[in-house]
Amino acid sequence: MNTSNKSASPKTQCGEAWIESIVSEDAPVRNRTLESLADGLDSTALLNVAQALDHFRRESGNLYHRVRAQMFLATIYRYLLPKTFSERQVGRITYEAYRHLLERRFSEAIDRLLSDQLTSGPTLATSSALARAYHQLGMQTLADQVRRSVRTVRGNQWMFRVAHPDDHPLRYNKLLLRSDPATGDYPILCEKTSVRMDFSHSGWSDIFFLGMDFPEGAKVLNASIDLGVFGRDSAPRPPVEAYLRVIDRPVLRLVSTDLGAEAELTQIDEVFDFAKDYLGLLKAALIAAGIVPPAMEGCRRPIQELMRVLLGCEGLGLELVSKVNDIPKGSRLAVSTNLLGCLISVLMRATGQVTRLSGGLDVNDQRLITARAILGEWLGGSGGGWQDSGGIWQGIKRIEGVIANAEDPEYGISRGRLLPQHTLLGEDMLPPSSKQALLDSLILIYGGMAQNVGPILEMVTEKYLVRAEREWQARQRAIEIFEGIVAALQAGDIRRMAALTTENFTGPLQTIIPWCTNRFTEEMIAKCRERWGEQFWGFLMLGGMSGGGMGFFFDPAVQAQAKPWLLETLVATKRGLQDRLPFAMDPVVYDFRINDAGSWCSMLNGAEAVMPDGYYSILAPKLIRKEVKELSDQAKRDLMRLNQACAMDPIRARWLLDRILPQPQSDSNAGISLSDSLTEHGFDREQHEQIRSELLSGRIGLSENRLPIQTEIRDVALDDVIDVRDRSRRSADSSSAGQRALREGRVAVVTLAAGVGSRWTDGAGVVKGLHPFCRFRGRHRSFLELHLAKSRKASQDADCPIPHVFTTGYLTHAPMQKYLEQHKFFDYPGSVYLSRGMSVGLRTIPTVRDLIFHWEETPQQILDEQQQKVRASAHNAIAQWARSCGEANDYIDNSPEQCMHPVGHWYEIPNMLRNGTLHGMLQTHPKLRYLLLHNIDTLGASLDPLVLSKHIESGACLSFEVIGRRIDDRGGGLARVDGKLRLLEGMAMPSDRDEFKLSFYSSMTTWIDIDQLLRVFGLDRNLLADGKRVDSAVRSLGGRLPTYITIKDVKKRWGLGQEDVFPVTQFEKLWGDMSSLTDVPCSYLAVDTVRGQQLKDPGQLDPWVRDGSAAYVDGLCRWSE
Amino acid sequence: MKISKAVVTAAGPGQSSLPLQRLVDRDGTEKTALELIIEEVDAAGIDEIAIVLSPGSEDAYRDAAGRYVDRLTFVTQAEPLGYGHALLCARDFLKSEPFLHLVGDHLYLSRSQRKCAQQLVQVAHAFGCNVSAVQATRESMLPYFGTIGGIRIPKENNLYEVKRVIEKPTPTLAEQELTIAGFRSGTYLCFFGMHVLTDSVMTILDERVRASNRPVPLSDALQEVAGRERYLACEVDGQRYNIGVRYGLLSTQLALGLSGIDRDRILTQLVELLSVQR
Repeated sequence: MNTSNKSASPKTQCGEAWIESIVSEDAPVRNRTLESLADGLDSTALLNVAQALDHFRRESGNLYHRVRAQMFLATIYRYLLPKTFSERQVGRITYEAYRHLLERRFSEAIDRLLSDQLTSGPTLATSSALARAYHQLGMQTLADQVRRSVRTVRGNQWMFRVAHPDDHPLRYNKLLLRSDPATGDYPILCEKTSVRMDFSHSGWSDIFFLGMDFPEGAKVLNASIDLGVFGRDSAPRPPVEAYLRVIDRPVLRLVSTDLGAEAELTQIDEVFDFAKDYLGLLKAALIAAGIVPPAMEGCRRPIQELMRVLLGCEGLGLELVSKVNDIPKGSRLAVSTNLLGCLISVLMRATGQVTRLSGGLDVNDQRLITARAILGEWLGGSGGGWQDSGGIWQGIKRIEGVIANAEDPEYGISRGRLLPQHTLLGEDMLPPSSKQALLDSLILIYGGMAQNVGPILEMVTEKYLVRAEREWQARQRAIEIFEGIVAALQAGDIRRMAALTTENFTGPLQTIIPWCTNRFTEEMIAKCRERWGEQFWGFLMLGGMSGGGMGFFFDPAVQAQAKPWLLETLVATKRGLQDRLPFAMDPVVYDFRINDAGSWCSMLNGAEAVMPDGYYSILAPKLIRKEVKELSDQAKRDLMRLNQACAMDPIRARWLLDRILPQPQSDSNAGISLSDSLTEHGFDREQHEQIRSELLSGRIGLSENRLPIQTEIRDVALDDVIDVRDRSRRSADSSSAGQRALREGRVAVVTLAAGVGSRWTDGAGVVKGLHPFCRFRGRHRSFLELHLAKSRKASQDADCPIPHVFTTGYLTHAPMQKYLEQHKFFDYPGSVYLSRGMSVGLRTIPTVRDLIFHWEETPQQILDEQQQKVRASAHNAIAQWARSCGEANDYIDNSPEQCMHPVGHWYEIPNMLRNGTLHGMLQTHPKLRYLLLHNIDTLGASLDPLVLSKHIESGACLSFEVIGRRIDDRGGGLARVDGKLRLLEGMAMPSDRDEFKLSFYSSMTTWIDIDQLLRVFGLDRNLLADGKRVDSAVRSLGGRLPTYITIKDVKKRWGLGQEDVFPVTQFEKLWGDMSSLTDVPCSYLAVDTVRGQQLKDPGQLDPWVRDGSAAYVDGLCRWSE
Repeated sequence: MKISKAVVTAAGPGQSSLPLQRLVDRDGTEKTALELIIEEVDAAGIDEIAIVLSPGSEDAYRDAAGRYVDRLTFVTQAEPLGYGHALLCARDFLKSEPFLHLVGDHLYLSRSQRKCAQQLVQVAHAFGCNVSAVQATRESMLPYFGTIGGIRIPKENNLYEVKRVIEKPTPTLAEQELTIAGFRSGTYLCFFGMHVLTDSVMTILDERVRASNRPVPLSDALQEVAGRERYLACEVDGQRYNIGVRYGLLSTQLALGLSGIDRDRILTQLVELLSVQR
């Protein structure tokens, strides 16, 4: 343990200063940084501080005080304490604590972990679990508070009381119930709303938690904009529209024209089934607008009863239609929130909750709709931004946090109010000439990247609450820049404004969150600079991160030329990076204008009362299939009107027919393509059919992955492993066996890169190895480049070029080859090999049995209450999808790449045998004797001579590296299974509980003795040339290893940037099971966490940098120039 | 303030026959709804009563007024121009004097010795200003009533200074504008259908009717009064019954019967009904 605490004051050592910082009203005290508080504290002092903070958070009645204490605690346990531990202080997380965490009983988890810490002493494992528990408790407390605040906003509260249709206090406007005497049609209310764009959000200060705790710093400059797609639309228009009318059936009919979905709801409870279809947003709007108040959830009453009270007559219902004018999802312009606001607005107008039935909105109404949109987002489980519904308002405005006063429901709970204050910049504050100057310079684009901003928002919140020093300073700078941007815009000095938005992006924003930029954005900015020089004025990040919506400022003199150039360059840059970064679609350049009217509503009567075209393309096929006599009068009139419209407008008729009638596949080879791909990549149809039949019969499946329950699983003893931990405290021995092997060219590296890293991009199918995931030495580098940089350093240190192999799969081979060639193999001094995958599987529709096992029998993180409801609804929909598609049928409704799957990493060494890579290597490097095999995401794996020496000295065929298990390390581990020492996969554990008996987690990194391994296969160096013999050897050994059934998420992309995620079944064989073979001599090397930890999820990146792991890995590398 | 006149409005669409309905009073005697309304006014010590009617219904009202017919002045609202206009039609009858106003489709049942109108008129006497009778009402009934927002007058249990009047507010608006300290969530003070008004209300109504072609609600004028002069609301100790809504007459009759001499008989009949009906 580190014992130096010479600089720490007594107040910081006992936690007093920390608590003072939490409770103080004095800004300099309240804003003391984490670093200043933690400076010089040793582990004893840190544990004292933790104890004091934990006591404080239990006693404090103030929500934000509790949350700050929880975040301090999370930081202490995640970053500060572990630095003082030895790697040998591994410890174990008790299963009970883990279950509490999974089931969101965070307080109970903390109690259990603290009690474990008291009895067993502080360990890396409990420390990591405590960090997680405090962090999640803090986030949950904040989310609960925002939800409570949303409910307590005046004007929202009644909706949480009205639980029965007969008590419904709203009435539909009588004007909208008067049918047209000539046509019989009811009027349609049509609302059109713009979207919002932020010129600055002052370091994500639009997050509710920030605005409510630090209202002084919560500032956004927000504009309502209309959009058109450059080259497609004649002029910009409000991007979102909502239509509402009375219908002659007592149902709620919901239609989303942009998502092609329609449903008729007959029961009130169906409105709360958010994830059943694509109509979740419309349902959230109905609830948030009070048409179906949230208190009615679970009332089990028919919609008919509700309609009778609301409309005042029997037999009538309502129809709500949404339309997005072809703006891609993920545009970072808050399209969804503003559509939600638009839908809420039209519903509130119709029920008299908004002053005007048609026209614009009053300020009070805008505030009310904003509050309801926030409510809708929280109900839908998405929890949107604080200024996102800016499109409801008009023009350009400052949106700022407000300090809560005694009349506010937030008073005494949070420093700021939930709802911000909007200050419209009228002509006196923002001359039309300035607005025009902005339009003449700024080009808005959608970059096409699909990314989840959620983790970034959590990172921002945590860093803010603990006042991390650099981030806090950056936040101050962002606030200064905000004022500069406002002043520059007011003055019409767009060049200055562009300089400031660029400085904001490269300075404060990237300091707070380095992950808000990416290779795509950086390349685009560099290309703009290169092509336009001084005439490129600057860059603007929209929303939470770059890559989606972005802005580029140009000299007005070249804006017209820059627009087509930008589109062309964006598309070309995307094409160059699409294997490496997750793009949902091709980039788009927008035309835009400031909307000075705000959300606007018209009442359409008589002949004008028609729905948008997209509506008929969804409803008409359904109506046409019915007998005319079965159609209601209204449906007949709708069809008649459609007929007339088509007769007058043949282009429209053609457009409509194209959508109504089935179309030939645009890619006529789509069906063949999958089949060809399967053949090309070594698909084994016979094996596939056998797996299908076994899946259906229940002989294999998720539950059958597990070893029999009577299997004895025990933790290993310390002498079962060769301990090479605390590596930094050991000196290198230049004469060791490892050093000699490296110097003599007896070692090569094999990096496993056949899989796509589903978790990295949520199944987007990009090549994880090529993902430029982190900036090193000023540039975003890929996993592949990093591994080569480590081997370069090892080669140079050993003065001997080390061969490096990347195993590839059907999805990764071509992109990796192209990438390496493009980058000239990063001038790697040794040989670089690509070992091509030799087999591929075809995914299947999951069985409902496996889905239920996956959701209910394997440990799942329980979500926040509302999100859990959405998840349950999605599970029902997915089970229904599996039944309707046919359980265990081939999954073919996606691109071929997404239908096929790699068959597990066990195959990758056999592939090297079968495809001749190893044979070739041995021919070229006959001295080669050892391989270091590791996963693409095990970034700390390196050719450490000491570890290699231990492998050589052990004489084992395979030496597996294991690390002390922490909370993030879920899955397999080192165990005694019925007495045999081996690695055991997580999914093979007889019960969930067994995993928590194990101290060591398998990092998958393996040192291989080539000749011994060949003998296990029944081969030797010479026999590698005999393809048939090799194939037979691989088949024979593979037969001795278990086949696991797994469920993976795959994305299906459609429409404009829409993505659906489907769980599909695939099978795999795993490398760790080699340790179960009795004839394979294995040893186990306990190594430092930093060497064995894996980056599976982008959310791990920030902690990985903060805890020093990134710096450690950087130190292992020698980068090419 | 001396109040000697009353105006009952009964000219609304579908309202013309309501005061003619017959009910059995607490004392067991059969009366028309109009007689019950007149007795309410009479108990407040008011002699002169104007009934505002739609054209052609005067004869029926005369018949329904029974022994009170000679005390009534019938005023016809020639065109259906709304509630405010109907009230304004009685302006000549009022001659600028303050007056008690009741709506013709409501009946009142006091829980105290004093009738509801009597309670209200006493408050107006005491404070010398416009006073509306109000009743605590659940939010589900907001679509039917004008609703006030205000503050409780110190040391008075049932009196409020009116700050805001909104006709049939949405619950959203009610929550923002009409909540009253001390009231349970979702409960508001809604009009009881009974007011004591001064000539200033008639002046505002006159201005509004002249300025607009649309029907003028009384609530809008009362909102204006609240901004101009003292205007109180009195939570009367009684219950109102709207005989114009579905089953309104039945509820009213039951309420009258159950609070009168025939209570046991009615309860027995109800039990019998319940025992034979599924």
